[in-house]
Amino acid sequence: MAGELTTDPAAPEEVPPPPATSDADAMAARLAEAGRAKRLDDRTRMVLAYVVLTLFVVIAVGPAFYLISPAFRDSVSLFTYPPEWIPNEPTLENYRFLFSNTSYVRWAINTLIFAGSTTLLTLATNTMAGYAFARLRFPGRNLLFFVILATLMVPVAAVLAPTYLTVNTIGDWPIIGNWIDIDTYLGLILPSAVSPLGVFMMRQFIETLPDGLYEAARLDGAGEWRIFTRIVLPLIKPALVVLGIFVFMLTWASYLWPLVAATDNEFRVLTVGIASLKGQFVTDWGILAAASLLTIVPVTIIFLFFQKWFVQASMAGALKQ
Amino acid sequence: MAEVILRQLTKHFGSVEAVEDVTLRIPDGEFLVLLGPSGCGKSTILRLIAGLEDATGGEILIDGELINFKDPTKRNVAMVFQNYALYPHMTVYKNVAFPLETARMARDQIAEAVQQAAEMLEIEALLKRLPEQLSGGQRQRVALARAIVRQPLVFLMDEPLSNLDAQLRLQTRLELMGLHERLGITTIYVTHDQVEAMTMGQRIAVMRHGRIQQMGDPTAVYDVPANTFVATFLGAPPMNLIGGSLVQDNGRVSFRCEGYELVVDPAVAGIEAATLEGAVGDAQLGVRPEHLSLASPDAEGLPGVVRFLEPVGSDLFVSVIVAGHAVQVRMPPETRVSAGSNVRLAFDPARSHIFGADAQNLRS
Repeated sequence: MAGELTTDPAAPEEVPPPPATSDADAMAARLAEAGRAKRLDDRTRMVLAYVVLTLFVVIAVGPAFYLISPAFRDSVSLFTYPPEWIPNEPTLENYRFLFSNTSYVRWAINTLIFAGSTTLLTLATNTMAGYAFARLRFPGRNLLFFVILATLMVPVAAVLAPTYLTVNTIGDWPIIGNWIDIDTYLGLILPSAVSPLGVFMMRQFIETLPDGLYEAARLDGAGEWRIFTRIVLPLIKPALVVLGIFVFMLTWASYLWPLVAATDNEFRVLTVGIASLKGQFVTDWGILAAASLLTIVPVTIIFLFFQKWFVQASMAGALKQ
Repeated sequence: MAEVILRQLTKHFGSVEAVEDVTLRIPDGEFLVLLGPSGCGKSTILRLIAGLEDATGGEILIDGELINFKDPTKRNVAMVFQNYALYPHMTVYKNVAFPLETARMARDQIAEAVQQAAEMLEIEALLKRLPEQLSGGQRQRVALARAIVRQPLVFLMDEPLSNLDAQLRLQTRLELMGLHERLGITTIYVTHDQVEAMTMGQRIAVMRHGRIQQMGDPTAVYDVPANTFVATFLGAPPMNLIGGSLVQDNGRVSFRCEGYELVVDPAVAGIEAATLEGAVGDAQLGVRPEHLSLASPDAEGLPGVVRFLEPVGSDLFVSVIVAGHAVQVRMPPETRVSAGSNVRLAFDPARSHIFGADAQNLRS
């Protein structure tokens, strides 16, 4: 038939010809269109994410921010209407009062001693306990570990009275009672010197270290203590930092135990001290805000300084050595 | 330097028998290779000698002293681990110095010993680096340096080359042999690589299922494997085994398989006549690929059909189907043969082996 295409059965399969110029243009247009759609899509998603995140940020740090403004204003201007967010006449009067008319400095030193010693002691006890649970084989190991974990489920308030009674009783004992009692540093510190969560965390961390390291160290003549101090401790540094900051911050902000264990102003810590600034009838919110702000700042700085360690430690188990 | 003796050493993990009744004497200064597939118990033997595992039964003696109950820190054996087990937070110097520090050696003595070990293993330039900054081969050297630095009685090496690439493995193998020659420390080397075993070991012990199958110098083990396991574990490709039976006829014993009969002359085969007669029944004929050659279909030998050809450059491996078994033949690369052709496989009966029904070699 005329005009009909005939194909030669022996001819090789035809390769599609390269696209004409107009085809290339069409393709470019299609790509541009798809790209625009994707960018729009990405942007919508990002905006949504930011909205949600902003909401959480406001909830999380809002109250802390709320402290900043009153801390730099005198108490009279606190209750003006409309509320004044940025002080018209910023003042350091609240701080002057805090340092000259209250025991703020004493409380701060006490808190530093309390939080610092608790942190060091917790690190010492928890790494050793964690090492024992991770590496040593001894009868009752699992049961003991379970008991330690079980204490995590007991609320702090429930053990408050027993702990108080224990410390108070020890205080009546000869000699040791001079050191450990209500209204002593040791009485305040020792009950918080072990953290079950810390023991758990250290055990998990130490367990991730390869067995070969322990075996090599043993064959190199190292005993348990040497392996612990020379091999294990340096290798779990990120975990130590994380646990240290954790305990430090928790102790720094703890209220209930110091409230009952350190009633004497000489041993009072910041949280309890600040609460005592609240008068029965009149409360100077400016001073309270200033004291609170001053108390938050050091821990926040410490946290910001060490925050990369947090990420490292939480990633540590994820990657094989 | 020391002599190591294992006497009826046994180790069970629950119901798993990892090491079963192993008796070995490793003379002072020997390089012994424990060879076997994974899970055969060879690494467990090392760990028992090191003290990282407690023996279920049997004795371990180093220089005549029973060390079963001695703490690993006090056995004075050094081990090189498969993954090197370097301390990641310490520099190379600190890694090598660690065993000396635990021995409370004086600082200047430590420095001297580390320097010596570093020179011997050519890692002086790396002393300030951390393990993560080293290549696999360099890590291996550091691990070796850490092992030799305190001059242990015994060297234990657990597949130390298995993480290296082929070329580096070859090089390190030679260096390890040189090191052993220089130091003369009794060495027990574990590997599943038969080439390593054959080339490095003064003696090799082939293991399977926690037991030693055969022990001897590498050539002897290769030439006269004690059983079919050793015969097929050593050699690449392994020894060919052809199933058949030993038949006694007119006072002569012959091996028979499909389409083939070989009269076994005890003198030629190196088998005692009584043993041969006692083994009548199921049997296997074993011939190594290099001892077989292709012959024309009308010649003497095992009849077969060529299936595949595998030229590997230096040789041509020909796969021939004989009585239903695939038999490998090593031929010179220029051999002219095509798949599908009928051939006969000729061999020297003196280089063949007969394995009895219990898979043991009849040759003594």
